[in-house]
Parts: sequence; C-alpha cells; structure tokens
Amino acid sequence: MRRAVAPGFALALPAWIWLAAFFVAPVGVVFWYSFGYKPGLFGTHANDVLSLDRYAEVLTPTFFDTFANTLWVGVLGTALCFVVGAPIAYWMALKAPARVKGLLIALVMVPFWTNFLVRTIGWLILLSPEGWLSSLLQDLGFEPLGVLQTRSAVLLGVVYNYLPLMILPLFVAFDRVGDVVREASSDLGGTPLRTFARVTFPLARPGIIVGVLLVYIPLMGDYLTAVVLGGAKGNMVGQMLASQFQTAQNWALGSAMAIMLVLMIVLSIVALGALARLIAIPVRARYRVDLMEEVA
Amino acid sequence: MTAREMARSTGVPAAASAARPGPAVHRHRTPIRHRLLLAWSLVGFAFLFAPIVVIVAYSFNTGRLLVSFEDFGIESYLALFQKQVLSDAVSVSLRAAGLSSLIASGLGTLAGIALARRPGGWTVWFVGILLLVAVTPSIVGAVALLPWFVFLGQDLGFGVFNDGIARLTIGSSLFSVAVVAYLVRARLIGMQANLEEAAADLYSTPLRTLRRVTLPLAMPAILSGFLLSFTFSLDDTIVAAFVQVSGTTPWPVYVLSALRSGLRPEIAALSTGMLLLTLFALLVVAIILKRAGDSTADIAKTMAGGS
Repeated sequence: MRRAVAPGFALALPAWIWLAAFFVAPVGVVFWYSFGYKPGLFGTHANDVLSLDRYAEVLTPTFFDTFANTLWVGVLGTALCFVVGAPIAYWMALKAPARVKGLLIALVMVPFWTNFLVRTIGWLILLSPEGWLSSLLQDLGFEPLGVLQTRSAVLLGVVYNYLPLMILPLFVAFDRVGDVVREASSDLGGTPLRTFARVTFPLARPGIIVGVLLVYIPLMGDYLTAVVLGGAKGNMVGQMLASQFQTAQNWALGSAMAIMLVLMIVLSIVALGALARLIAIPVRARYRVDLMEEVA
Repeated sequence: MTAREMARSTGVPAAASAARPGPAVHRHRTPIRHRLLLAWSLVGFAFLFAPIVVIVAYSFNTGRLLVSFEDFGIESYLALFQKQVLSDAVSVSLRAAGLSSLIASGLGTLAGIALARRPGGWTVWFVGILLLVAVTPSIVGAVALLPWFVFLGQDLGFGVFNDGIARLTIGSSLFSVAVVAYLVRARLIGMQANLEEAAADLYSTPLRTLRRVTLPLAMPAILSGFLLSFTFSLDDTIVAAFVQVSGTTPWPVYVLSALRSGLRPEIAALSTGMLLLTLFALLVVAIILKRAGDSTADIAKTMAGGS
C-alpha cells in the first residue's frame, strides 16, 4: 500500500503547486501586508514595522459602517433569495410535470450563465430614471424611479444575481427526496403540511444548508452589484477594499479589509448556525417522533 | 390544527371528520396551493429573465446611449465588426479562456483521478485547498493576485507575469481547477475500479492503464469540465479587472470601463453575442452528460459548477 500512496500524491502534485503558487501564496502575502502600513504618498505598502493598526483603522466608523451595511445586505439578501427561490425549486422538483423538468433547469441556467456584470447592467437599464419602466410609472402619475444608487437597488440586485445559485442546489435537494417517501407519508395519513414539515424538509435540509451557504458567501464578497447599482450610498466591503487597491493605493489597509471580510463571513456563519441550532431545539422537541405515542 | 389532529384530540375517529378531500384521493382537481406554487414560479421565471430580455432588446437600440431607446436597428451589431477595440477585447478573452481551460482541465483531471483512485492522508488537505479556492469570494483572490504578479514580474523579474494574457489565464484558471477536479473525482468514484484492476492483471503498465482505461472513463467529466472552465474564464470579470494589463483588456473589463465612460448600445450587442456563445458551449455540455447517462438533476449539479 505504501507504493500506491506515492503516485496518488504525484498525480495531484501539479494542481497542488499551481494552487499554492497562485492562490495560497498571494492570499498569504495579503495577510502579511495587512500588518504593515502605507509609507507616504507614492508607496503602496511597507512591512518594516508590524502592527495591528490597519485592523484598528478598519474598525473606525468610516470603514466599519460599510462592514455593517454589507452584513445587512448579506443576511437580508440571502433570506430573500431563499424566500423567493425555495418555492420555485420545490415546484420544479416535486410538482412540475416530469417531462418539462429539463427545460426548467435550462431556463434557470440561462440567467446563471449570463455574465454577472451584464445582467446587473440589465437592471441598471430597467431601473434608470430615463428608462421605459420609469416613464411608464410617470404616465400612470407616479414619480420617476429613484431607486438607483441606493441600498435597496443593491438588495434587489443581489437577490436577482444569486437567485439561480439558490434555486439549483435546492432543486437537487428536493428532487432527491423524491415521491416515494412523500406518498408513503400521505398514505399513512400525513396532511400536506405535515408531510412537508416532517418528511420533505428534514430530508432536504443538508441541500438547503448548502444552497444558503453558496449564496451567502459570495454575496458577502459581492463587488459588481454594488459598483453598478449602489453608488456611494449602497457601498459594500468588496467595492471598498477594491478601491484601496485601485485608487487609494493603500495595499496595507486594503489587505486588512480583505482579511476582515473573510473573518466576518466565517464568524457570521458560525453565529447564524448556532442561532439556527438554538431555535431548532424546541421545534425538534415539539415534533419529535415518538413511536409509542403515535401508535396509541 | 388539521382535521386529523383535531379528530385525535377530540376522540372522534379520523375517518368521520375527514370531510375535507385529501390530495391522495382527489388527484384530478389541482389543489389551490399547487396553483399558487405555479403562479409564484412563473413570476420567478419572469423576474429571472427580465434584465436579460432588456439587454437583448436594447442591443437593437440605434440611439447614442444604451439606456434611452430610440429606434430599432442592427447598427450596434455592425459596430462589433467595425470597432477594433471591441473585436480586440473578444479576442483577448477567447485566447485567455482557451489557455486557462486547457490548464484547468489538465491539472484538474490528474487531481481528480488521484482523489478518486489514490486517496490517502494528503486528500484532506488537498480537498481543503480546493474548497477554499472555490468558496473564497473572488474579490479577495483578485486583490491578492495583483500584488503577487507585480512581485513576481517586477521584483523577481519573471517577464511572463507582466504579460496580459498570462495573467488573465492564471487568474481565471484557479476556480476552474477546483471544478474540474471535483467533476472528474465524482465521475470516477461512481464507477468501481474493476476495469483498471483488470488492465493491471493483464500486465498493462500504470501509464497505459491511465491512458486507455481511466481517461476514457472520465472523458465526459473532462470534456464538460473543459467547457465549463472555458465559459467561467470567458465571463471572469472581477479577477480580470485587477490583473489585466492595459492593452490586453478582456471583454467584461471593457464593459466595466464603459460603465464609467458611458454605456453605448454596442455593449449590449457584445453581451448578447457572448451570451449566445456561452449558451452554445453549455448545450454541448448538456448533450455530453446526457449521452454519458446523467440524470437531469446530475446535469443541473454539474452546470452549477459542481455545487
């Protein structure tokens, strides 16, 4: 067996080196830069004096407000994505006629594979005060649309942009539950609601968690939606840290922001996961299946 | 409280109180909640397609500005062929995507085979890195690559890292390596290693077994991984915006800069054209996977980037 391990590792080695050289090393460098500072007007970073000052800087209201804003958009956006996407995925997997399933998947794929920036620009056209939607509203006697460059526009944008990413894993999750156990539940006297709450949902839960994480993580790091729809009022961390690298040329501060963003994502997932567990305890106690009681 | 629960708590037999028609019995009448689900889904699909329809419709705008529609015409599509900067952007994207998907499918295939057929103590670490690459928000990877390329190219003097195409290729290959490795691993794990063992018993060398048995088995995953990588790279905006060198601007970065300098209808025409190209590649992926015997749900999973 010793012999078998060595070639296995060797086959994966090229990919390992590639990812180490162009992912692990650069991210490590960013981590290193985050303890440095910006020396003067023309330098981008210096690390001769190490400190946590950049992190302290990130925590000042100037920058921290954007972090709070991002968390708000991230949590609310993911929740809205779930509320909009879950019924669609449920319908596609369990209620739609089997012969159109492939077509429905293809229809979700089209927006998923349309360039992210392009579909956001589609919303820019739709929501613009000079666009047709706005003039339609004005003909009906409303104000011209003023939603662009606000946090609401960013929220709409992220819900739209990440919706396919929510629907697809949820579809797979519900599709896996299948009809057999659900019909069994119904035959044994389960009402539709009980079948959903006690058969379909628990079986689909791992896929649901995956779907929520798949939306939440990239949504927190979103850059393009805020750039296109947000403007100054709808700022997000992605945009802010990008500007540290592109315009402000303060790589040290930008690096600290990047590390803080990753930290915030990880910590918020841990916190929300713990919260979900806490809520689940009484619910589970209430719905625990007790065979003896059911029979009686 | 449902009728059945009420029956239990009041002691009335369930059958007596079950006046409400159950779904299992009356299948011919669609319950109201099914119709609500259908309506919700139809609205959802309209929502999903709204901005795409807008982009395609506005690509036929003859006005000067994209946002205000003036008249219907195909001038913007003609501009794609007349304006050098547009065709250059497409050509840069295609070259980088071609190279990047070749690298990603090569590295990813080998890694996927290793993961499926030769797992060991290293697997956990390797899968961890792949996962990390896949879930790290691309803005973090993007801002990290910029100083790294500057360091490699200017401080250490490796000229290749100052080349625009090389930078774009590397930048967009990372996520794709993870996706291809995942797809190849998933396909091979689904099959027993019987054929490979048989080949070894028949005195095939390891390299020959790899070439004649394992690779053909993994081929549907490799091909779809290649095409997915190609489209990922073609659409890569964030990483490209950071690592690009002026002179080699890929098309999404051109669109991003047009956002600041003024959106013209040819941006919509360009986007429509690239969307058609992407959809064609995906159609090929779907056909390959369908022929390889994947279910609709499997194909959906693959196309969502192996999620």
